[in-house]
Amino acid sequence: MKCGLEIHVQLETDSKLFCTCRTNYKEAKANSNICHVCLNQPGAKPYPPNKKALDGAIKIALMLGCVISPEVTYFQRKHYDYPDLSSGYQRTSIPIGDQGELNGVRIYDVHIEEDPGQYKPDLGIVDFNRSGIPLIEIVTEPDMKSPEEARKFLRELIRVLEYSGSARGEGTMRADVNISIEGGKRAEIKNINSIKGAYKALQFEMIRQKNLLKRGITIKQETRAFLESQMITVPMRLKEEAEDYRYIPDPDLPPMLAENDRIEKIREEMPEPSHIKTDRFVREYGINKDHAKVITSELELADAFEEVVKFIDPKFAALWMRDDLKRVVYYNKMSFKESEITPAQIVDLLKMLEDKKITAKAGKRIMEKLPKNKEMPSQIAEEMGLIGVVDENIVLKAVKQAVQENPDAVSDYYEGKKNAMNFLIGQVMRLTRGKADPGETHKLLESELKT
Amino acid sequence: MKLLDKSKLIKNHEITALDNLEMFCKNIEKNNGIYNAFLEINKNPALDCAADIDSRIKAGEKVGKLAGMVVGIKSNINVEDFHITAASKTLENYLGSYDATVVKRIKEEDGIIIGMTNMDEFAAGSSTETSYFGHTENPAAMGRIPGGSSGGSAVAVASEMCDLSIGSDTGGSIRNPASHCGVMGFKPTYGAVSRQGLLDLAMSFDQIGSFASEAAGIALMLETIMGFDYKECTTIDWDVPEFTKMIVSDEESSLKGMKLGLVKQFFEVSDDGIVDIIEESIDNMEENGVEVVELSFDYIDLCLPTYYLINYVEFFSATRKYDGRKYGHRIEEVCGDEVLRRIHTGSYISQKEFSGKYYKKALQARSLIRKEITKLLKNVDAIVGPTVPKLPHKIGTSLEPMEMYAYDILTVIANLAGIPAASVKAGEVNGIPVGLQFQAKPLDDDKIVQLMAGFEQINKI
Ligand SMILES: [Zn+2]
Repeated sequence: MKCGLEIHVQLETDSKLFCTCRTNYKEAKANSNICHVCLNQPGAKPYPPNKKALDGAIKIALMLGCVISPEVTYFQRKHYDYPDLSSGYQRTSIPIGDQGELNGVRIYDVHIEEDPGQYKPDLGIVDFNRSGIPLIEIVTEPDMKSPEEARKFLRELIRVLEYSGSARGEGTMRADVNISIEGGKRAEIKNINSIKGAYKALQFEMIRQKNLLKRGITIKQETRAFLESQMITVPMRLKEEAEDYRYIPDPDLPPMLAENDRIEKIREEMPEPSHIKTDRFVREYGINKDHAKVITSELELADAFEEVVKFIDPKFAALWMRDDLKRVVYYNKMSFKESEITPAQIVDLLKMLEDKKITAKAGKRIMEKLPKNKEMPSQIAEEMGLIGVVDENIVLKAVKQAVQENPDAVSDYYEGKKNAMNFLIGQVMRLTRGKADPGETHKLLESELKT
Repeated sequence: MKLLDKSKLIKNHEITALDNLEMFCKNIEKNNGIYNAFLEINKNPALDCAADIDSRIKAGEKVGKLAGMVVGIKSNINVEDFHITAASKTLENYLGSYDATVVKRIKEEDGIIIGMTNMDEFAAGSSTETSYFGHTENPAAMGRIPGGSSGGSAVAVASEMCDLSIGSDTGGSIRNPASHCGVMGFKPTYGAVSRQGLLDLAMSFDQIGSFASEAAGIALMLETIMGFDYKECTTIDWDVPEFTKMIVSDEESSLKGMKLGLVKQFFEVSDDGIVDIIEESIDNMEENGVEVVELSFDYIDLCLPTYYLINYVEFFSATRKYDGRKYGHRIEEVCGDEVLRRIHTGSYISQKEFSGKYYKKALQARSLIRKEITKLLKNVDAIVGPTVPKLPHKIGTSLEPMEMYAYDILTVIANLAGIPAASVKAGEVNGIPVGLQFQAKPLDDDKIVQLMAGFEQINKI
């Protein structure tokens, strides 16, 4: 199979694309972020396009490796009749960038659009708070060969968008996917609102088409809608399918040209795209690709990693940041940024581990204390009495001593009483003042008792 | 009384803004029933506004350049709390919720807005007969159309129901009724005046302009409404000339040294009676120091099709918001024949399969026309000729669309090319006014004002 995607995500701006209304449409009371421009009342004309939105779109296009159009670009009117569209047309730009690439998938076109309002048939209202919020649309070539590949691409794309700082996340995503399988015709699926939805829609459609082919039924070219609640696709009404948008250049908006200086300035200031950063981490720091991917999943985490490795062995740092740091942050349902953990704290902690001042177990316990905590790990270790790693010989000595001094527990152990082992571990911990690693102690005790 | 003299008297508190307003209100009460120039009058806020201006003048405070001037606004321009109907049933109950940029500027300069004027439905016409609220009479030629689409604004000035009025001009909608009613009408350079708040007919042609009975009124209003508007992307950022400085009162003619171009095709398409009067006027100007050269424009047959194709498509797009959900009526269900024709044709020719054939071709033709007109204007200060090739027909005459559109042949060119143009009264044929049109290079609006002032002077209008 071959599949291509058209993904819309909201751009992150304070004000709308063609007026000064705010964009916090979800928090605001219905129809409170509106004016005559975004309501498209009679006589209203768009203000000049929001520069932050245009720059954000150029930045994202650059991060996706696109060539920014050297020609003038302009907004077109795409006409259709729906309650959420207050003007009867949607303003959508011609491509501002093309010929990009992400993860081996070619990017055909990146452009800007305005979001329509939200029609809420259940409430019988249209909420125009969303009307006029800038969207970026990214169109790929049909380069994905399975639902899994499409899912992988989408995850990567959302990561790039989040990295850019100029787009909102998966929560504002709307996607159309097109799919064609060998022997069939191209089908387009609309109304997809999540990565999971895209995956499910493609999977359903692939199986549906294969079954039709197996039964000797010809597949027709059609547009289908994805029903998120049932995870199936259904044919769209013919009228919607045959719609002619009657595109015309919007006479109210003059042509735009992205000057070279502006493009170069954005290029200089833009964050390194995550997929390129991943490859660089592998190359530069010698860490493995999976680790690099996890670490570059969040820009702040990747930046912290680059700080940390100025002082700590990159492989060691990668291991700890990928596993334990990520685990703690994830457990607390935070992003790394929200956890407020600093590179200095990580360095402090990893240094103690490298210098064998604390055990791995103690390290994990300290890590758990770090979110939203300004204390340094060495201080936390001190307070918790975790400083000092005991030499294996000392633990071994303590093991022997515990076995010798507690014959009752030993015989209980041979009789299969589980508590006996815990008691003996406790004795070893007491003898080493808590610095022995319990797991390690358990193993040492077992082998001691076997002989 | 000359307008600038009146303005001075008001500012010196020798007559009051209130006196001026009351005079017009009386006239409106007496005559609007006959002419139907105004669709809505809002007297009380106007009285408050006049009283406020007078009290500020009395207190020695500074007032705006339109202080005390009474102004009528075409019903397709947003004024808060007035009915912005575009003379259509589609918007019969629509109340303006904001002021158009021009209205804001008029208010800032202490103009007194008295009411909303009649027009062709959605400005799609040149007779003001297609208004849902009934036709407007021509006070200069009773029983004949006043022209359009800004017929109400032209008649409001012609019948002395206000000092100044505002209209919109997409293919002649200011100049055509000015010509038929014997007043002055000015369409500025495209982008010289903000369209923010103007209901669309064809966005790439629409321009707001003014009517007055003398050049000084045009100059005052242009100074007020022109200028960059950051809220309207097609406005031009430029230094607006001081148009009132063009109005000289001494005997020295402001026409001296001006070079005018006479395009022979513009005369060929016009009725003989009109040609005679315009030629006479040009002779008169030559005697007063104007140099005249003959020019030729080979693309006149291209102008109307190009204009109407673009007009249809842009109008179709602009009317999609009247879908019946927000403003009460779905436009196609309640509008008149001409509006419906434009919507249907616009919808038809903007289909994907035809877009290359009609709309894109029309855009190319427009570029060609613009280029040719620029060439013609290169060596002259302005082009001079008739405004409308025919006299206003009798009200109720039934015309085929092509006959109707033929009235626009000489005015659409300025909109296709985006250049400034104006009409002044040149004379009369059997008592029916005939307008003379000046057209100049983009942003040479001041040259046209200068010509209008000079023309006014030698003809002692
Ligand atoms: Zn708004």
